[in-house]
Amino acid sequence: MKVGIAGTGFMGSTHAAAWTEIGGEIAGFLAETPQEAEELAKWYAVKNYLDLASMLNEVDIVDVCTPTHLHCDMVLKAAAAGKQIICEKPLALTIEDGQKMIDACKKAGVNLFVAQVVRFFPEYALAKEAIDHGEIGQLGVIRLSRGSYRPKKAVGNWFLDETKSGGILMDLMVHDLDYARWVAGEVESVYAKKISKSFPDAPVDYATVILKHRSGAISHIAGAWAYPPPTFRTSIEISGDGGMIAFDSDATAPIRSLIQKSGSDAPDVGLPSSPVSESPYTTEIKEFYAAITHHSPVRVAAEDGLAAIQIALAAIESAQTGKAVILSPLTEVQL
Amino acid sequence: MKIGIMSFAHHHAEGYVQCLKNIPGVDLMGIADEDSARSAHYASVYETHQFRTYEELLEAKPDGVIITSENNKHRSLVEMAAGQKIHVLCEKPIATTLEDGKAMLDACQHAGIWLMTAFPMRFSPPVLEVKNKLDAGDFGTVFCFNSTNQGELPKKYRSWFVDKQLAGGGAIMDHTVHLADMMRWYLQSEAVEVYACANQIFYKDDVDADVETGGIISITFANGVFATIDCSWCRPSNWPTWGGLTFEMVTQHGAVLVDAFKQNLNIYRKDTPHPTWRFWGSDPNMGMISEFITAIRQDRIPSVTGLDGYRAVEIALAAYQSVKTGQPVKL
Repeated sequence: MKVGIAGTGFMGSTHAAAWTEIGGEIAGFLAETPQEAEELAKWYAVKNYLDLASMLNEVDIVDVCTPTHLHCDMVLKAAAAGKQIICEKPLALTIEDGQKMIDACKKAGVNLFVAQVVRFFPEYALAKEAIDHGEIGQLGVIRLSRGSYRPKKAVGNWFLDETKSGGILMDLMVHDLDYARWVAGEVESVYAKKISKSFPDAPVDYATVILKHRSGAISHIAGAWAYPPPTFRTSIEISGDGGMIAFDSDATAPIRSLIQKSGSDAPDVGLPSSPVSESPYTTEIKEFYAAITHHSPVRVAAEDGLAAIQIALAAIESAQTGKAVILSPLTEVQL
Repeated sequence: MKIGIMSFAHHHAEGYVQCLKNIPGVDLMGIADEDSARSAHYASVYETHQFRTYEELLEAKPDGVIITSENNKHRSLVEMAAGQKIHVLCEKPIATTLEDGKAMLDACQHAGIWLMTAFPMRFSPPVLEVKNKLDAGDFGTVFCFNSTNQGELPKKYRSWFVDKQLAGGGAIMDHTVHLADMMRWYLQSEAVEVYACANQIFYKDDVDADVETGGIISITFANGVFATIDCSWCRPSNWPTWGGLTFEMVTQHGAVLVDAFKQNLNIYRKDTPHPTWRFWGSDPNMGMISEFITAIRQDRIPSVTGLDGYRAVEIALAAYQSVKTGQPVKL
């Protein structure tokens, strides 16, 4: 099966590497301008598509790695063309768009996979497994954090444009909002605060979200675009009535480098670094590909991606209004 | 300098006595407790006088008393001390209702005595170090805090900690005030809004139905800074120590991460079921008790006041109100 990758930024190139690792056939790349896709197309010796229509003509799978505000339109067109679809997180910037995407894929009879990659990180997957096995009993408080620096891009920094990325609560924290829901179940109410609302001129951003789950569990989720590059750190602390599970990327990093560096270049977006034999992105693409080719199960449904953005949107609303936001059940969404 | 202890209901009294014994010129003149077996026990342990009643202790004219009773009894003991014009160091939370807190402040002001709240974190060297750098402008503007004051179920120390009447609540009442006070002190700004969630999942079989064991609080200060506090009694019984206090302070220049009780040895003994942490950092209680003694000696107001204790209780009580309504509560 031939894969077309839309979007050639950091996530497009990461997915390309994953496709290559699992022996997938990349037919070509599509970017907003052909110049942007040139390097990747050359590197992989594949096509540099000039528009979506010509890519859709030649591929079986569309892997959408574009900025978030472009997801909906691209997925709708790919579904109409009968393509299998993988879409980067967050699924969409509004529930209406996300629902439209899911409906269109159902109607077209194609898969829509949302790349909530945190579910594929071994530490997160293992913690979920231990919880599901009842190792720490009923969950009481879930603490998750994810922190880095403000995404930088020389031109067109869409991450910092909240109309395109949804800002820190959507772009960064949708990972942990999804994970909290995955381990502790549906969310009843959301309360959030963020620096970019309280101090609009601040050079950093940081947000805290408090979730009340229907199960009675409480989640505390922190997201930072506040640390000096190239910092990227995550942590999990999940306490139940039978014990707790804790992970801290600072404490478990297997390599600490005290080598002098000449430059101090950091990537556009902070990245986790804890070497494992298979990149979580590869695990993810492999699982989606197997589902397409062999109908095998996947650990995350498009509906989960929709539920995650519902929580993120409630957090954005809460940070804006100062009130806790009560979630209404998404009829389509089930755990 | 003569100091008396009123009640050993709170186990912190034991630590405070150790501090008193290490300050030159301080005489632990005796202890009184409504539980005479308890006062007899501690009088013998610390080789000091056992007063039969609180009145008797106060009539012996100590220069100051430390009140370490159950939380809801602080008011009556503070009022007794104020009646004899004796300075007070009162365990936190200083009261379980605002009415009691106000009465205590009024009684002490009227009597012209100092009322200090036992907030040892203000004397923790790592916490002080960050406060000094903050005041020196090293971090620029502060924007928010993400903090924890988690612990085991304190019932193993004293059963009244999980009695709503005596303690004034559960984890929120027990573990909100330290960080709430620290943030007020760091920021020199008052809380204006509080949101909180609470539950009873940890140790639910060990506590009454009305005592929360898990909770997360969000505070907004007048200067716009926001902060969360995790006050949960979530630590499993085999956690290497009693609990801890941590915070991340996010500022204009990045973030500072503080773990106030990280200065530990890791001890792995074959004859204990799990590893333990043994603290080698400095005991914050020592600075706190010294401040109380020094304030009395110098006849000046202590650096932590009864009003500080009252403001922290205001925040904890607002958290309970928010848990009920599901929405933030304005102060």
